[in-house]
Amino acid sequence: MRSFILLSLCLSLFVGCSFKNVKPWQKESLAKPIMQFGGIHEAVSKYEGHVYYSKEAARGGSGVGGGGCGCN
Amino acid sequence: MIKKTLSTLLLSTFAVMALETGDAVPQAIQDELKLQANQTYVIDFFASWCKSCKKELPLVEKVAKENVANVIGVNVDKKEEDGKKFVSDLGLTFPVIYDNDKKLVEAFDPMGFPAIYYVKDGKVVNVIFGAVDDIDEQIKKDMQELK
Repeated sequence: MRSFILLSLCLSLFVGCSFKNVKPWQKESLAKPIMQFGGIHEAVSKYEGHVYYSKEAARGGSGVGGGGCGCN
Repeated sequence: MIKKTLSTLLLSTFAVMALETGDAVPQAIQDELKLQANQTYVIDFFASWCKSCKKELPLVEKVAKENVANVIGVNVDKKEEDGKKFVSDLGLTFPVIYDNDKKLVEAFDPMGFPAIYYVKDGKVVNVIFGAVDDIDEQIKKDMQELK
């Protein structure tokens, strides 16, 4: 009985999980400019990047191209 | 009981299958697209927020204007007005269906956008996913091969 309750509790942790993938046509919100890494203002993210490169002596690897629609 | 539940769960993951080359398009979807027998159609799924679609659609329009293929566009924007504005801004003249309930796109289930399906006699005969440089030339070449 105790193991059953324990198992039920463990399984309940997965209740919020979904096995469904986000389909390409559902990525409208992800493709919005506001969803870009660094925010909507390109100048701000450029400035922040400049500070980061100066402090860390490293650059690159800060994002990927594309709008998230699964296109090439 | 557990076996039955598990097998139902397993089967439900395969319930929606993407249309691939060689698959027949369901009759209800053919009716929705107004497909006619003995015709080859180029069905282009696109959205206003898809950058590659914006690049590719003027070339598809060129193909449609040259009567190389029967082009049908399927817009999958959340809001129909966004799709209509996009179509109007690009000056597309081929028929566009606004798939508001996502019935069409869910039936085809493309893995990326833009997605171009060639449908001949109710069957998918070729599929192109993603942006292709010179898509107009590609469509012309494919249509020649499909004749």
